[in-house]
Amino acid sequence: MSNVPNILTRPEFEASEIGKAVTSDVARKLTLFERISDMHSVRKLTILVLLVALWELYTRWSEVSPLILPRFSSTAYALYLAVAGEQLLIMVWNSVTVLIAGYIIGLVIATILTTAATTTRFGSDILSTLTAMLNPLPAIALLPLALLWFGLGADAIIFTLLHSVIWPVALNAHVGFMSVSETQRMVGRNYGLKGLIYVGKLLIPAAFPQILMGLKIGWAYAWRTLIAAELVFGGSISDTTETSGGLGWFIFANQMDLQIPHVFAGLFMVILVGVFVENVIFNFIENRTVRRWGMQAR
Amino acid sequence: MSTSSTRKKDSLPELVIRPEFELSDIEQAQTGDVARKLSLVERIWNINGVRKAVILLTLVAAWQAYTVGLDVEPLMLPRFTISFVALYEALFHGDLIYKIWFSVKVLLIGYGAGLALSAVLILWATANRFGSDFISMATAMFNPLPAIALLPLAMLWFGLGTASLVFVLIHSVLWAVALSTHNGFENVSQTLRMIGRNYGLHGIRYVAKILVPAALPSILAGMKIGWAFAWRTLIGAELVFGASSGSGGLGWFIFESSQNLETEGVFAGLFAVILIGIVVENVVFRNVELKTVNRWGMQS
Repeated sequence: MSNVPNILTRPEFEASEIGKAVTSDVARKLTLFERISDMHSVRKLTILVLLVALWELYTRWSEVSPLILPRFSSTAYALYLAVAGEQLLIMVWNSVTVLIAGYIIGLVIATILTTAATTTRFGSDILSTLTAMLNPLPAIALLPLALLWFGLGADAIIFTLLHSVIWPVALNAHVGFMSVSETQRMVGRNYGLKGLIYVGKLLIPAAFPQILMGLKIGWAYAWRTLIAAELVFGGSISDTTETSGGLGWFIFANQMDLQIPHVFAGLFMVILVGVFVENVIFNFIENRTVRRWGMQAR
Repeated sequence: MSTSSTRKKDSLPELVIRPEFELSDIEQAQTGDVARKLSLVERIWNINGVRKAVILLTLVAAWQAYTVGLDVEPLMLPRFTISFVALYEALFHGDLIYKIWFSVKVLLIGYGAGLALSAVLILWATANRFGSDFISMATAMFNPLPAIALLPLAMLWFGLGTASLVFVLIHSVLWAVALSTHNGFENVSQTLRMIGRNYGLHGIRYVAKILVPAALPSILAGMKIGWAFAWRTLIGAELVFGASSGSGGLGWFIFESSQNLETEGVFAGLFAVILIGIVVENVVFRNVELKTVNRWGMQS
């Protein structure tokens, strides 16, 4: 009780000038400028334009050697040239087909592993041992072995892609399946679901946020591995014909020829493909599934 | 209302009255044993570590048996014992330890610099809306760009050497960490923010005392992804470097061994890569998680 400080009795007072307390405007119409700058897309577009303008002006005024940093305009022109005349799109397509092949085979193997892991304890042990060991191993480190086993070509790249896809996908799917609530499982069994139908109708929808996360991480690793593998390839072989290589090869070859605007054009293409996959394909899947089912905020 | 309920009653099926019956053989319903002591084998088999060790040993034995039994060309797939001895030799009689240290040092520098840069960006983003827009724009653009694709440019700008490796590593860490930290900050609940403001926290103290602890699970997730990308990028970059020059790291060790057709050296390098990865993921990050988010009850 003695610790409680004395209660201060402040003197009574009267605000002499009540008008001061009124704020200027509580609600008012926003001006056109404010409304425009409140739009997300406008603000982002402005930032993009600013960055591009900065790049262009910097390269123009400081006269940086175009070998170090080419102008934005020449980069854009190089991109146009490469797309129109030098079959950049075919190279992109080469990369993407290899990526899709590796990704799909990886998904199939991951599905088999996860199925074994969810149905038997032994399978679960195998999966957790393998993922603990092989998930931290960068797929690209396997490329020298893959080159030895499969020779130079798409097979070696697909092998490394498999490795980069399987472990994150299987790991996340398994964790997702494990954390499906017991109540939901019992509901499923109550309906008499068994085997594949049980997995397809109950476990997969319930664990879909996790599965999707695994798919996204798998895609990110695969994309990075593919570009890196093509760059390493560029170092190992130099007599590839013009159109047989992929996007990474395009970047590597142009860097060797000191065609720096083309290197930047290749990087733009890498960004475009990445943005497309992440913001269009995966967003579409998310909107159609986990967001629509209310399993994920925003 | 009442009509609908009567209609419902009408549509109900008639109750079936089953005849009473008595089980003649009650013993049949009994299950074998409800509780019994597990045998020693079962108890040992129930230990997680034992089962995993058995799996590991089986894999190793299968590898060894396959290579010995079929007499596989050691160039294609060396025996496990040979690979293991190669690892031992390289570690204790070769210079693998220095190469590992070289790689880890570069990784730490790049990772640290990437974290520092992303902290600066994030502080800017919490301070004003323009910064926040800039971050979401930049991460959307640069996160899908594999850092390794920047290596040709980095080699042009910084020459062959540690500087370009660090540049590429920064790129691989920065955007992953910035993206998930930014998302984490945005998802901090309004209540927690108001509590912080109620305590009169501002600026850096507000970020450090309220936002960072509240968003730590997603910050940690970002740091883990950043580490994974950085580790992959580093090994990839050293492999590419291997093709262009000879600055030594773990990736370079693997590349050198494969160029010299010493496949057991490749496997030794891979073992080292796996070991480092396991230590970082299961020891370093696991402990950080146990000390923070798990202890605070933010993650099961």
